[in-house]
Amino acid sequence: MAGTNINGVVRSTSVTGEFYDFACKVMLIGDSGVGKTCLLVRFKDGAFLSGSFISTVGIDFRNKIVDVEGTKVKLQIWDTAGQERFRSVTHAYYRDAHALLLLFDVTNRHSFENIRAWVSEIHEYAKDDVVVMLLGNKCDMTSERCVKREEAEKLAKDNKIPYMETSAKSGLNVDLAFVAVAKDLQMKKTRRPNDPKFSVLEYVDQQKQVPSKCC
Amino acid sequence: MATSLHSNQISAGQEHAPGGSQNPVLVTKDSYEELEEDLSLDVDQSRPRHASGVIAEIVESRQHSEVDSNQNNAAVDYPATDQQVKGITADTNHLSLGDGQLTDESEVFVEEEEQRLRSGSVLQTVEKTKPAVVEEDIHSAAWKKHKKHIFILSEAGKPIYSRYGNEDKLVTLMGVIQALMSFVQDDKDSLRSVVAGGHLIVFLLRQPLMLVAASSTGESQQQLFLQLRYMYNQILSVLTHTQLNRIFEQRRNYDLRRLLSGTERFLNSLADLMDSDPCFLLTAVRGLPLDNTVRDVIGQSMQSAKVKDLVFAILIADGQLVTLVHMKKYILHPADLHLVINLLKASTSFETSDSWVPLCLPNFDSSGYLYSHISYLDDSPACLLLMTVDQMAFKEMENCKQKILEKLKKHNCLAAIKDSVKRGSYTCQEVGISELRHFLYKNKSTAQFTAPSWGAPYSDPAEQERLFSLYRFVHQKVHNPARPLKILFYVGSHESALGWITSGFELYAVFSPLTTKQVAILAVNKILKWIKKEEERLFILNPPEY
Repeated sequence: MAGTNINGVVRSTSVTGEFYDFACKVMLIGDSGVGKTCLLVRFKDGAFLSGSFISTVGIDFRNKIVDVEGTKVKLQIWDTAGQERFRSVTHAYYRDAHALLLLFDVTNRHSFENIRAWVSEIHEYAKDDVVVMLLGNKCDMTSERCVKREEAEKLAKDNKIPYMETSAKSGLNVDLAFVAVAKDLQMKKTRRPNDPKFSVLEYVDQQKQVPSKCC
Repeated sequence: MATSLHSNQISAGQEHAPGGSQNPVLVTKDSYEELEEDLSLDVDQSRPRHASGVIAEIVESRQHSEVDSNQNNAAVDYPATDQQVKGITADTNHLSLGDGQLTDESEVFVEEEEQRLRSGSVLQTVEKTKPAVVEEDIHSAAWKKHKKHIFILSEAGKPIYSRYGNEDKLVTLMGVIQALMSFVQDDKDSLRSVVAGGHLIVFLLRQPLMLVAASSTGESQQQLFLQLRYMYNQILSVLTHTQLNRIFEQRRNYDLRRLLSGTERFLNSLADLMDSDPCFLLTAVRGLPLDNTVRDVIGQSMQSAKVKDLVFAILIADGQLVTLVHMKKYILHPADLHLVINLLKASTSFETSDSWVPLCLPNFDSSGYLYSHISYLDDSPACLLLMTVDQMAFKEMENCKQKILEKLKKHNCLAAIKDSVKRGSYTCQEVGISELRHFLYKNKSTAQFTAPSWGAPYSDPAEQERLFSLYRFVHQKVHNPARPLKILFYVGSHESALGWITSGFELYAVFSPLTTKQVAILAVNKILKWIKKEEERLFILNPPEY
């Protein structure tokens, strides 16, 4: 079951019978409790998991197909447990990932301070050309915020990765985060040598919404 | 009034134990014998207590089979292979913390802790994580009212878990427990239990952990020991025995809650389950009632999708075993399966997506993880677990699951499972014995049990609880290590109960309080006949192997 679409990519069918042009693996990483699962559920089902804290055990695996300018990109999303004891399992799968969404919680200073450690883990275990994006989640909780946007932007700049603030609760920038990743990966895949280079950094800068200050 | 009878009054022979099988799916060793052996071990002799090396063995055999298949192509250099094996074994047992890393990180952690203490933000964090729950502590009336408390602490006296209330607020209590246990331990002795008023307090030392149960439920010391052992095994299933030891060798005062974060749920759910599910009492697993042809098809589908290194494939629906396929040499211990069932019960996150989870099954191998692919098949209540020794085999397991799923769908097996779960267990009326109110039957050769659903007069949860404690009472009487009984007939104010143990089975049956011994004995013989008739539907008798 394969056909060729406009971009010259072989189109295959997923198990559920949906068409897609290519598949890529996206992994959500970050400390325990920063909202990785909530972000994913918001993106996948458009819902917000409120109430009790459900911690992921090991790695969860979900698929979603997104449309990037006519190309269907199947995102295989790995949602990882943030707890330390699962690190060896998650590390083992870093190498397979095409993109990593690194999350911290803007209301939890500690999770932000750990980002450096996460970045060095990425350098150690992931592929060299992996797409990384830093996400400051829970940005709807303005009154409890303890990580300034400028700080996070600086950290992202130092590491040459794009940064945006998300809210799994309000849905702000959630789709954009995943779509930007898909777009970047799709560009990498289909770009001809003379095409202009796609910069996920610029794309994100143009598209992202800044959370409103008043609440 | 309790009376024991002569066993010759009952005619059924043991060889006819219904639901028996020559090739069991589960380890059938008696849990009470195991416990006796376990407790008779000295503190220093913890080695024989922990199963270890099985995973390494599987990895090794895989290495050798690869070598065998390469033999035609090249000369085989065995010493090198052995080294490789060691490398891989070390890999399998590689735990999430490197040796050096641990000390570093925990030191950092101590600093943070101090910082937080200084800034007084500890309380803040606690409030944030549990906003709605009112904290119970040792002085609150509600806390004292709980029927069974379970505490886990480290040998250094650091709190790890408390079933009720926040461990942080129970620090002083943990200190007392630690003092009591280590005082006796100093004399090369061990503290087992203390009776205080209506409470029995049981102490279990599993270095580096101390486990304590304080119960007013009337359970015996043995029964509480078994439950503490389950709690201990639950911790091992998360960390492995190797890792647990290593942590405390490096830092005696390590706060284990840091590594266990997110697992309180599993400990809580296990403690609750042990208070309501007879499978723990019987050390047996309940099979989902299913037509044996359907079960065979399911077993074959799972067997035919075999992939390399798959050790166990388990299909569970609604806490009941549908079927289990295992590597020829290795069989599963029911206590390990109970931990798996608890894992599924306690977490809803498996229902929405496929998961990949490292799990240690302490009775199988306490030194390493089996990597488990967990998925609910097609939104049905059937949950498939594929357990392998290869950490990187997610994809292979995913494919294996797809194959199994397709086959099960083709043969309409998922619908059959769904139906069975919806229907629930059979009612006591179906058994057709008028005096009979409820029963538990365990076949010892398969470590499986069956029981009717909770019908009237036990539809009310409070009544179920009472019946369950009656079962526990009869069970503890017949399993009394000082005076084990074969048969016990007990007449209580609400019902009479018969407990009967042979080498082939255990049966506990409950009747109205006016039922006589003779009538009860006639009835249990009828129960056995009925189970024999239904055994293919109720028990997993011919489990396939890889």
